[in-house]
Amino acid sequence: MTDTETDPEPATDGGEEVRADGTGIVAPDDETPTWRERKERSQGLSRLTYEYFERARREDQDLRTESTYVERDVLAFPTWPHELIRNLSITFFFVGMIIFLSAALPPHIAAPADPSTTPAIILPDWYLYWSFGLLKLGPLNPELAILGGEKLMADRTYGVVANIVVVGFISMVPFINKGAARRPVEQPFWAAVGVFGVTFAATISALSVKNLLAPVIDTHLLFDLTFLLPFVTGFISYGLLKTMREGYMFSLNRRYYRLRPPK
Amino acid sequence: MSLEPKDEMDHGNWMESRDLTPIEKGYLTVLVWLDKRLRIVDYLEIVENLYYKSNMQMPKSHTEQYNLDNKFWYWYPLYALGSLSTIAYIVAAISGALLGFYYAPAAAAGNCGIDGATVAYCSITTIMTDLNFGFMLRSIHRWSAQVMTAAVFLHMLRVYFTGAYKEPRELNWILGIVLISLTMVFGYTGYLLPWDQLAFWAGQIGVEMSLSIPLAGEWVAQLLFGGFTLGQATLQRMYILHVFFLPFVVTTLIAIHIGIVWMQGIAEPH
Repeated sequence: MTDTETDPEPATDGGEEVRADGTGIVAPDDETPTWRERKERSQGLSRLTYEYFERARREDQDLRTESTYVERDVLAFPTWPHELIRNLSITFFFVGMIIFLSAALPPHIAAPADPSTTPAIILPDWYLYWSFGLLKLGPLNPELAILGGEKLMADRTYGVVANIVVVGFISMVPFINKGAARRPVEQPFWAAVGVFGVTFAATISALSVKNLLAPVIDTHLLFDLTFLLPFVTGFISYGLLKTMREGYMFSLNRRYYRLRPPK
Repeated sequence: MSLEPKDEMDHGNWMESRDLTPIEKGYLTVLVWLDKRLRIVDYLEIVENLYYKSNMQMPKSHTEQYNLDNKFWYWYPLYALGSLSTIAYIVAAISGALLGFYYAPAAAAGNCGIDGATVAYCSITTIMTDLNFGFMLRSIHRWSAQVMTAAVFLHMLRVYFTGAYKEPRELNWILGIVLISLTMVFGYTGYLLPWDQLAFWAGQIGVEMSLSIPLAGEWVAQLLFGGFTLGQATLQRMYILHVFFLPFVVTTLIAIHIGIVWMQGIAEPH
């Protein structure tokens, strides 16, 4: 106790007595900076943020006042309530579908795990077939002449790297394909890339279950088809979309300019 | 002198002065009580907004306005796939929680009269044969998981082919890829839990896959599978991933994913 009497805490708040019961709040006077002033006084990144927000707000406001089209307010389809109400109306149908499927096709359980007997067919669940198929790309693993025919990495590692490459490419798509084109006819190339990808997902899944398909199709043929079919479907869809594009763009432009004749 | 704080607005007097029915009075009393503690008026605006928007007439969408494609509704079912996967996720969560009451992730020998069966395997056979509606419960859990995975794949295709990943939606595309991967991990960890032959050998593939990752392979195998040979540690880890770790992570990411869609609106092809 004597400690606090001899060595009082230095006053940092102007020396007034601080009341902790919440009754000491003083209304702002002329000396108290407003929030605007506080923001404007701040430096560095917070200052930049504030300035940017002000600009962005001004930009929105300008767009709104300039626009002669009231409809421009709808820039995308609103999630609430329009999309959600439409979706909720089919929710019950979907849940019913799940229950119907589970009643009609109940799952099977295999024999208990036994490390000493390897089953003839080892498979993950169907949605991992594509990844499992990419693990079986060993024959494509290049044998480098400078390494004396040695492979740069083990076949297994090659498969894992293939998985990473595929997922990496898919996540890079928005940064590679830019621009306003949305529909497949407006961007035949990227639609063809998509068709290529879908076909490849299907064929690589088929490759992963080549043991099962062996009675139906020769394994070597299957391996070749895995890489040929995607190109075939990709080229076909590219050609089709390219052909459709002209007529499509014509009618699109006609409708567009009817609505907004050029000045 | 009393230290009783003065009620500046004096809601009590205001309520007395009004001619209120008992229901109104009760409602107001609860509302004022809650508001004094939680200050819900600050959030009331949000609720009001939602309420009035739900009663608004639907504005014409971009495609309808410019008559760009009057057959847009054709494609509508494809636009509901994201919703469908969320619904399947909820169904799987509910049925999974119920299954969790009966399932035990133990690789010790079980006593259900099947040769080589573990406790985990026996708890599944018990669910399937002895539990009322147990077979149906497992069936629903499995099918909703399958439907969710399928819907998520198709959802990604829809987004790709309608160019909905483009600016300003790139972040949500990447978040979607994280989510689809986590969905597959969810499926994989669940696939291992019955500890039957399929599960065991799928686990073996998993161990080998992680071992073939350059540099970090052994470390990843240790972390995810609890060693290089499958056993109790593997089953335990798959169980915790499936019922504890992934549900938190995936639910949070789904909430963010949908929140971003909510903020940005549904991208229509135009």
